[in-house]
Amino acid sequence: MAEDGDDGPEPFVVELERFHGPLDLLLHLIRSQDIDIFDIPIARITEQFQAALSAGLDRLELDRAGEFLEMASTLVRIKAQLLIPRNESPDWEEDPRADLVRRLLEYEHFQEVAQVLMSAEADRSRHFAKGYVPRIPDTAPPVEDLELTLDELMEAARGVPEPAEEAVHRAPTRRVRVSEKISLARRLLEESERVPFERLYEPWKDRYHGVAGLLGCLEMARRQAVRVRQAEAFAQVWLYRGERFWETEEEAGEEEAGALDGARLAHDLAASEEGSEG
Amino acid sequence: MRPEQVVEATLFASEGSLTPTDIARADEDLTPSRVEEAVQTLRGLYEDQERSFQIYQLGDGYQILTRPEYAPYLERFDSVPKAPGLSSAAVETLAIVAYRQPISRVEVEEIRGVSSSSVLNTLRDWELIEVVGRGEGLGRPLLYGTTERFLDHFGFQSLDDLPTPEDLPVTLREEESETGEEEESEPAGAAGTGGDEARG
Repeated sequence: MAEDGDDGPEPFVVELERFHGPLDLLLHLIRSQDIDIFDIPIARITEQFQAALSAGLDRLELDRAGEFLEMASTLVRIKAQLLIPRNESPDWEEDPRADLVRRLLEYEHFQEVAQVLMSAEADRSRHFAKGYVPRIPDTAPPVEDLELTLDELMEAARGVPEPAEEAVHRAPTRRVRVSEKISLARRLLEESERVPFERLYEPWKDRYHGVAGLLGCLEMARRQAVRVRQAEAFAQVWLYRGERFWETEEEAGEEEAGALDGARLAHDLAASEEGSEG
Repeated sequence: MRPEQVVEATLFASEGSLTPTDIARADEDLTPSRVEEAVQTLRGLYEDQERSFQIYQLGDGYQILTRPEYAPYLERFDSVPKAPGLSSAAVETLAIVAYRQPISRVEVEEIRGVSSSSVLNTLRDWELIEVVGRGEGLGRPLLYGTTERFLDHFGFQSLDDLPTPEDLPVTLREEESETGEEEESEPAGAAGTGGDEARG
């Protein structure tokens, strides 16, 4: 049995939150230093363990902190027991570290099982059952596809969130262009067959984005680059690839001149809104 | 109508897995064992024809699923939300329940060294584990075990598919008998080393 405590503790920077608990942290310390689990240098490990605790304990919830502290006290107790010379305690049946080693081995065993389970889970997730490929949204399936009128689409635009009331600062919003929304919609639709209309504005939570998204959507529908569907009034609006979705921007762009003057409309709307506020 | 065709039709029309007994209800002439035979025949057939799907056994049921090599194509239909993978804490807990079932919360916590009631509740909510009884002793604690859904989630046919110590990349196996890392099912470490059997 090697003496421990010879080497000074290396500075160990670990994020406590990253570990599932004290056993996880201990195993990490042991593994990362290639320590023989059957001959743990308790003094060194205890110091490292305590160093990790003092660095991160205050960021943990009380319960979790308690779990780490309990282990720290166990380590200190073992360290003390090891200091008692062996021949002075005749009933020293086993190494004071034995129980800890058992727990670590058991825990390590389950961590390894967990690894195997995770890869089994990943394998399983590559098998698909009937019903995986897009179903109609969870609401009752529509009897037939509904082509959408402008009014219905405008209704959906009512779902665009209002700017938060609390917002005191009004940084000038970057003018968002309809063409940006069109390319966003194209990009989304290249990745998946259909896209909920909200995806066009949701991340921004901003009315301008909503309006630009709506106009872009209308423009694309006009070019037959998308189809817009909704199962019933107020239901989710979905964009699907249209018949001419895969035509290049250039081909579609030739019609730009005759296109809906989206930017202008957006501007007008912005103006009217500002007017109503002022 | 050959039994293979009836079995195939039944499996095809089902969204979930079906046990041989379920399938046998489709026809008076079918028995569970004939269903099993038919499934084997169909499997061979799909294999020969290089179909994109196969009949897989999940728990004690069968289900037609696509083969993994088609996943990249199907994953593009990402508008259907995919079940998120389990967190590593959840899988760790699940591993303990799977091997040591029936097991109480306190026993799980002894092994993990951390409180585990919320992760156990989550696993219960997801129906990956269930209460299978009550233990002896103070307060008659709830005992947990894994469910059919657990098998399905990991693509296992039965708990026998859980990795055995031989499957695990451990270097400490030869030492195990000495230190008494005990496990219930594996006869690998021959009894009699005396040592320390105590746990917990």
